[in-house]
Amino acid sequence: MNTAGAPRASDVEATLHERFLALVQAAPVGVIVADARGQIAAFNPAAAAILDVAAERAIGRTLIESVRNFELDRRIAAALRQGADSDGEIANVANERRLRVRVVPLPRADGLRDALAFIEDITELRDLAAIRRDFVQNVSHELRTPLTAVKIMVETLQGGVGSQAQASFLDSIARETNRMITLVEELLDLARLETGKLQLTLAPVDLGELLRKAGETQAARAASLGIELSVRAPDAPVTVLGDRDKLMQVVLNLLDNALRNTPSGGRVSAGVRVADGAAELVVDDSGVGIPADALPHVFERFYVVDPSRARNKSGTGLGLAIVKHMVESHGGTVRAESELNAGSMFVCRFPL
Amino acid sequence: MLDETQQDVLRMGSLVEEAIAKAVDALTRSDITLADEILRFDDYIDDLNVLIETNCLNLLALQQPMASDLRVIAAMLDIVIDLERIGDHACDIAQITKNLAGAPPAKPPVDIPRMAAKAREMVRQALDAFANRDAALAHAVPAKDDEVDRLYRKIFRELIELMIREPASINRASNLILVASYIERIADHSTNICERVVYTVEGVPKNLKRSVVEFNAAIAQADEMLHGHEKASSE
Repeated sequence: MNTAGAPRASDVEATLHERFLALVQAAPVGVIVADARGQIAAFNPAAAAILDVAAERAIGRTLIESVRNFELDRRIAAALRQGADSDGEIANVANERRLRVRVVPLPRADGLRDALAFIEDITELRDLAAIRRDFVQNVSHELRTPLTAVKIMVETLQGGVGSQAQASFLDSIARETNRMITLVEELLDLARLETGKLQLTLAPVDLGELLRKAGETQAARAASLGIELSVRAPDAPVTVLGDRDKLMQVVLNLLDNALRNTPSGGRVSAGVRVADGAAELVVDDSGVGIPADALPHVFERFYVVDPSRARNKSGTGLGLAIVKHMVESHGGTVRAESELNAGSMFVCRFPL
Repeated sequence: MLDETQQDVLRMGSLVEEAIAKAVDALTRSDITLADEILRFDDYIDDLNVLIETNCLNLLALQQPMASDLRVIAAMLDIVIDLERIGDHACDIAQITKNLAGAPPAKPPVDIPRMAAKAREMVRQALDAFANRDAALAHAVPAKDDEVDRLYRKIFRELIELMIREPASINRASNLILVASYIERIADHSTNICERVVYTVEGVPKNLKRSVVEFNAAIAQADEMLHGHEKASSE
């Protein structure tokens, strides 16, 4: 304090500096302060988390020595040397993140400059944008293909064709229309499942009996594809509390997926059992298998491992996503195991 | 100037790491635009290489550095050669992405991005060792080359089997074998960088690819022969 009782300018400056540092430390976004020599004077916990660099490894060192991001280093250097302001997206290759970075120069009383960088991790935002984009693209494609076919067939019919061709075209129109309806219904189901709005009508359901019925509906299709389909269920009921129609959809989707990905001469087998206090539904096949890098993604919507391998390209890519959500809505779990060119196995577990 | 030149080596390293990541990303997604960007990017890497070399030579000529400073400058002259070659390999991978643009779409084997991630980690850690003068880290990094070599052999074998099974895949598979070989070379270059770091810190050249015992025995033998000859001459 000076003799008049007012605080000295140096005390005020020290207090402001302390408050500034406290603000930097508490900020929810990454904050880096570089001094006029380019050395890091402040590096808050958010910056340490976003960049995966401990503060003690950064303070007192230059950015390129500690963080080693060329673009961030360049922007800070531009702020220090030319007083340049910058705002944009950069990649942080070290931890594969996308960052939004704003760098501003901080003029000092001695004519030099410090630089202040704000950093935000926008990786998730960019991933979500990409998922949304892919989803819209996939849905558009899945609807446009059958619609185009229907349009052409309708135009041909309008032009007049013989009765045999007419019957064939009408069959195709019916088939494509059903395919579009199935896609829309599956999308609606998925939306309801994801928002928790799907209504389940719960009652005791014998999984074994369900599997036998599902096997009967797929038997003719399996035979026409030259695939041996076998179904094993114990005589004693394996009862779970569930929505019968939704559980039937789970079984049918798994059988459909197995038949699509198994070549002629192969086998698909499905079984129900009690294991470790839970009811298990197991579907395995001797098909083309799933590569290790694709396995974590098979339950994602529209994910198709390799479109060129799928026998029947009329699949919507939603079947397994629906299986996962349906099973989880029943308090269960589903997992996939696979080996490339040796087949896959899907196991759903339900509480008894 | 010595300090600023060291910062430039780290800047070059950062660019090179980014080039590797982008090159493999472009290959995985068949992204020709990104591949073109990498090819243009290489000019920055080459410019930094020239700048660092020039500064090192100026330091040697004008400041006549001694002891550890001299070793640092000698190390930097070698390190930038390895970094420049790594940058070139990233460009080679980008060029293959462009060459395969017209071919039927197919994902590269899952092990290629995995191999590239390990090689990139080795480059990063080698440069960490340089930035921090960390000889212990420099000794540890080359051991990871074994995993990169194992992945290379696996990819090579799988692609050869693919070519035998499906002759139509020969063009694509042979190019992917080249990609794997470039990544394997990137890992070797990072081992070279580690050797320069060890030399900078410990003052003794070491070959980190051979067993330490073997190499040091060879150095000791050469040293003995040299001193034995000098002694005989003075007598």
